[in-house]
Amino acid sequence: MRKIGAGAGLPLARRRMRAISLKVSPSGARSISRRALPILLIPLSGCTGAQSALDPAGEEAAAVFQLFLVMVVGGALIWIAVVGLLIHAGRRRETPWSAEKAGRLIAWGGVAFPVVVLLALLAYAVWLMPAIRPWLARVAPAPETIEVTGEQFWWRIRYPASDGMPGFETANELRLPVGTRTAFSLKAADVIHSFWIPALGGKMDMIPGRTNMLSLEPTRTGLFRAPCAEFCGTSHTLMAFSVVVMEPDDYATWRRAQAGGNRPGTGEGKRLFAYHGCAGCHGVRGVTGPATLGPDLTFFGQRQTVGAGTLANTAQNVARFIRDPGAVKPGAKMPAFDMLPEKDIAAIATYLVGLQ
Amino acid sequence: MTDLSSEDRTAQEARLREVWRTPSGWRYWTSVNNTEIGLWYGAAAFVFMLFAGVLALLVRVQLAVPGNDFLSADMFNQAFTLHGTVMMFLFAVPIFEAVAIFLLPSMLGARELPFPRLSAFGFWSFALGGVFVCGSIFFGAAPNTGWFMYPPLATDKEYSGIGADIWLLGLSFIEVASIAAAVELIVGIMKCRAPGMRINMMPLFAWYLLIVAGMILFAFPPLIAGDILFEMERMFDWPFFDAARGGDPLLWQHLFWIFGHPEVYIIFLPAIALMAMIVPTFAQRPIVGYSWIVLAAVGTGFLSFGLWVHHMFTTGLPQISLAFFSAASEAVAIPTGVQIFVFIATMLAGRVIFSVPMLFGAGGLAIFIIGGLTGVMVALVPFDWQAHDTYFIVAHLHYVLIGGMLFPIVAGIYYYYPLLDARKLSDRLGKIAFWLMFVGFNVAFFPMHLAGLRGMPRRVFTYPADIGWDWFNLISTIGAFIFASGVTLVVIDVLRPKHRQPKGEQNPWNSGTLEWISEPEEKWGVRSIPIITSRYPIWDQPSLIEDIKAGRGYLPDAKDGARETLVTSVLDAKPIQCLRVGGTSILTIVAAFSLGGVFIALTFHWWITTIVCAIMTLAAIIAWLWTGTAVIPKEEMRDVGLGETLPLYTSGPQSVGWWAMFITMAGDGTAYASLMFGYFFYWTIHEDFTAGHAGPGMLWPLTAAGLFTLAWAAMLAARWVNETDRRGLTRLTLAVAMLLTLAACCAGLAGPYLTSMDPTVHVYPAIVWVVALWTVVHGGVAIIMQLYCLARNLAGRMSARHDMDLRNVVLYWHFLVITAITSFGVLGLFPGSR
Amino acid sequence: MRLIPKDVESLWTLFTAPTVWALHFLACYVTAAVFCAKAGVAPFSFEAMRLALGVVTLVALSGIVLSAYLAWRQWGFGSGDPPHDEPTRKDRLLFQGFATLLLSGLSFVAVVFGAVPLLFIGACQP
Repeated sequence: MRKIGAGAGLPLARRRMRAISLKVSPSGARSISRRALPILLIPLSGCTGAQSALDPAGEEAAAVFQLFLVMVVGGALIWIAVVGLLIHAGRRRETPWSAEKAGRLIAWGGVAFPVVVLLALLAYAVWLMPAIRPWLARVAPAPETIEVTGEQFWWRIRYPASDGMPGFETANELRLPVGTRTAFSLKAADVIHSFWIPALGGKMDMIPGRTNMLSLEPTRTGLFRAPCAEFCGTSHTLMAFSVVVMEPDDYATWRRAQAGGNRPGTGEGKRLFAYHGCAGCHGVRGVTGPATLGPDLTFFGQRQTVGAGTLANTAQNVARFIRDPGAVKPGAKMPAFDMLPEKDIAAIATYLVGLQ
Repeated sequence: MTDLSSEDRTAQEARLREVWRTPSGWRYWTSVNNTEIGLWYGAAAFVFMLFAGVLALLVRVQLAVPGNDFLSADMFNQAFTLHGTVMMFLFAVPIFEAVAIFLLPSMLGARELPFPRLSAFGFWSFALGGVFVCGSIFFGAAPNTGWFMYPPLATDKEYSGIGADIWLLGLSFIEVASIAAAVELIVGIMKCRAPGMRINMMPLFAWYLLIVAGMILFAFPPLIAGDILFEMERMFDWPFFDAARGGDPLLWQHLFWIFGHPEVYIIFLPAIALMAMIVPTFAQRPIVGYSWIVLAAVGTGFLSFGLWVHHMFTTGLPQISLAFFSAASEAVAIPTGVQIFVFIATMLAGRVIFSVPMLFGAGGLAIFIIGGLTGVMVALVPFDWQAHDTYFIVAHLHYVLIGGMLFPIVAGIYYYYPLLDARKLSDRLGKIAFWLMFVGFNVAFFPMHLAGLRGMPRRVFTYPADIGWDWFNLISTIGAFIFASGVTLVVIDVLRPKHRQPKGEQNPWNSGTLEWISEPEEKWGVRSIPIITSRYPIWDQPSLIEDIKAGRGYLPDAKDGARETLVTSVLDAKPIQCLRVGGTSILTIVAAFSLGGVFIALTFHWWITTIVCAIMTLAAIIAWLWTGTAVIPKEEMRDVGLGETLPLYTSGPQSVGWWAMFITMAGDGTAYASLMFGYFFYWTIHEDFTAGHAGPGMLWPLTAAGLFTLAWAAMLAARWVNETDRRGLTRLTLAVAMLLTLAACCAGLAGPYLTSMDPTVHVYPAIVWVVALWTVVHGGVAIIMQLYCLARNLAGRMSARHDMDLRNVVLYWHFLVITAITSFGVLGLFPGSR
Repeated sequence: MRLIPKDVESLWTLFTAPTVWALHFLACYVTAAVFCAKAGVAPFSFEAMRLALGVVTLVALSGIVLSAYLAWRQWGFGSGDPPHDEPTRKDRLLFQGFATLLLSGLSFVAVVFGAVPLLFIGACQP
């Protein structure tokens, strides 16, 4: 049995504030959680995290967080009451209750109270469903649809053509404009995966043969992490993408750069990339033809991680990945290239990291 | 009534002892007595639980710190898959079967359950299947796709190797055992209660078990149907779950969870049933709200079948569908709440003696309530969109299962241990174990709620250091080890030698229910069967124990050297028959091991071994039926004591065998309905379900339906002719029916065969073939049954009065004819012949 | 004259109301699932389906009320209090009546719960 290297850390969160063309503006945040009772936030403080549902940065996540707070408080009170009663019932008492009185307790505590509370809760939640996941055909203006395909063990992302700019493909990093609803068309290439950006909203499975739709509206800028949420094989654990929520202007600039130009990069690495057959699986727009098997690498240098959330994106780590992907990501489909000369690997890695 | 002399009594006791004797030496294992089977069953389930517990500890060690490499990714995936599988299939369900088989006969005042050999067969199937599934991890070949086995990951042979086959075949084998237990329990509870134990006097444990057995009957067959489709895809490439060829992975999820959610209640209700026996004893009063408990058990039984899609809230089904299931999932919390309040009310209305069983019971409830509340949360669709497949769910399900099942089971062990050994377990060790388990559990699982909402998905073998989960995981691991030490202490308490401890009294807790009349050293169940006039007979019928021991009840003797118990009416428990049950036999072991051989050989595609084992299974089962069932007694009537004389042989709806067939076929019909659900499911998801492939046509399917109907009519005729005592004509009619059945089977296969439907091309031909094959295989079984009846007739083992075999086969035919008409009607006419 | 005898000698009556719940649940789920899967093919609108299921709900609720009435009658209109644990046929019947009444209540609530989605969800969106 193969063991993974001890150093295979996943350093995304540490680097989440790394400088990219990203302006974090608090004004973008319209988090409903602010309206929640402040006292509730004390035990939940420190719930920040790039992958936390308790630190909402999207409409859906915020509404669900509020629902959660209501239920936690209610649930805690109910638990205290019932367990208190249980402890009281377990003590010796001089005169036991009459059977009639005890029967009334069952009727009120066991039936009447739950019926009312559960009905109210159910109505709240069912009302919430179409409110947070609106029917896309009725959303105006119609949101843009990004196609995301889950593959073992990475994410293929296709942006549509817009404003006369052509569509383009990228992988493992999603960029979204703040304050706008974006739709996702979710597919799977091999097995079932699940698309989940905890900070923005709930998940939606990606199922072979089906196309599921989901829409999300980020409410503040930031860098978030999104793991695969349905067990999909050996490296299910090492399948995550980064989500960069940007100001609309920055986002537009980025879209233009992606769709229009490409950065062919320079140097020996570029030649070796083609020479050693990397281009057989990976595409770099403007350098190779479109390749379909592996992740597109066109602006690879901009990405946070290598190996879909496995390692930080440094030349060293890229080289390590090329040498033996299975060693850092067991079950990865990319074969090991440790037969290549070390300097060739280094050159290719430098080239890729340079694709900014 | 005059009392017998003491010599007569001793002679009676000697005869009873001889009849119910457990064999010694290696033959000990051929025993079918409920106390032995129950004990083996329970012990085996417990060993599997400890094994799965060790796997859980491995998982926790791996996750204790970020970036750990204690287990490889693949080993981790095998460990958690096997942990879930073993806990659910080899511990949680079997342990209740064990407890039920052990306790029910004495609780109902019966000598035995009606089919003791079936219990033994179930146990051996379970033990063999369990060892097979668990053993796989030592060869690195354990299933590694999660206990839910979602295709297409689990149908990918390259990924899962034979692990998935081991899961599918090993567990199908164990499901057979569970259904056998369900048949046994339903018939036992309905028909074998002591006289006077009317439906309103039944111990609550029996009520719960009746409902649970009914649930098994409708919950397990969909999984068996799913297993069949799954194995057909893995073995023969029939594309049921392959989207590229018209299949759909979601069908498996439906079938799996139609089983999977009732399963949770199948696990939970028997544990609550134990609480319903324990609480009144320690509150020293009858339960308050007996009818409320019945309401809760029946209500939960029904509602639990309307919850399955809440495991599929994120699969992209329409919101309206999700909301229906969310509503049912909220509603099921009501009966659950009722049960908790019944226990609290009973305690408030009584004078509670606090003891170790109560400690585990109350602690379990405190934990379970948290699980119930988080259950209400995740049943709400929007919250589940976030919580689904995270550690929040891991926490929730362990709060439910450990609080709602494991703690009550341990309470039950402390409570019922004296029935095994006439000694109590240690109070001191029990209390220490409780606090270790209670504290350890909460330390281990509470932080998982937070880890989950902070984004930790399930089934990850490691996690990054700086994402905010480090402390939660480390604390969980520490808690898991504290919890494990508590469980170990319970095991030590049970296993430690106790011969120095004096034997206690028969009923140490002063309980009121009938199981406490049984004496650990006697195998006869109950010395003589009493008349019951109370829900708590030991409390309310002062001379009960004395009367039973003095042989003043029914069946105080075993004059004919046969194992006998009473059959009573369903509602009012009036005695209607003296039933002779099967005794010690090796046939059950042979049958179970040959059937196991079939499943194991299939896993490795050893076709010849499969066929040999299948033939051996058939031979063993026929030998078992031939020698042990529908035996024509020497005399018609039997004096059962108390001035009552009862028939020894009944057939038709009067007999337990007829009910067993009815119940089995209800389960079989459910599996069939699940296959048809698949047929229409494929129709709904495709615009053109046939995808242009030719269907089986109209002619052959309708011919098959017609022939099956004729064969059924011939079987009715055979039953009628037999009743008029014309043996030769009966033979002839049976032979005609057999030929008609054979023709019907051929016609059934002719449709898809002659139109050369290729099941590997597309899901439409594949599902047509499966439906046709299912029906034809049932036709084949019918032919075997017809041959059997013919042979019984020829051997003079069947007569106009003694026609149980024939009547049971006709009952089978009622189900078969419905199946055949539905199958071939649908195949021929829907969605329009082409 | 009574159409249905007061003392029904069967265990099955206990399951009447939950069975009505099950049928209502199936009707709602299957109708909605097939309607949404075959979107555009059905000759009626979502609103029409919603209305029809509303009518089905009312029918189910009246069925349960009927079952509850029969149970109440069998229970002697509440003339005797539980626990109904005497060893007589009469107490057995009273117990059956009371338990059936309770189950009718639960089934009624469960059907009402099951109708909540019809109030709030007006389209097939996932």
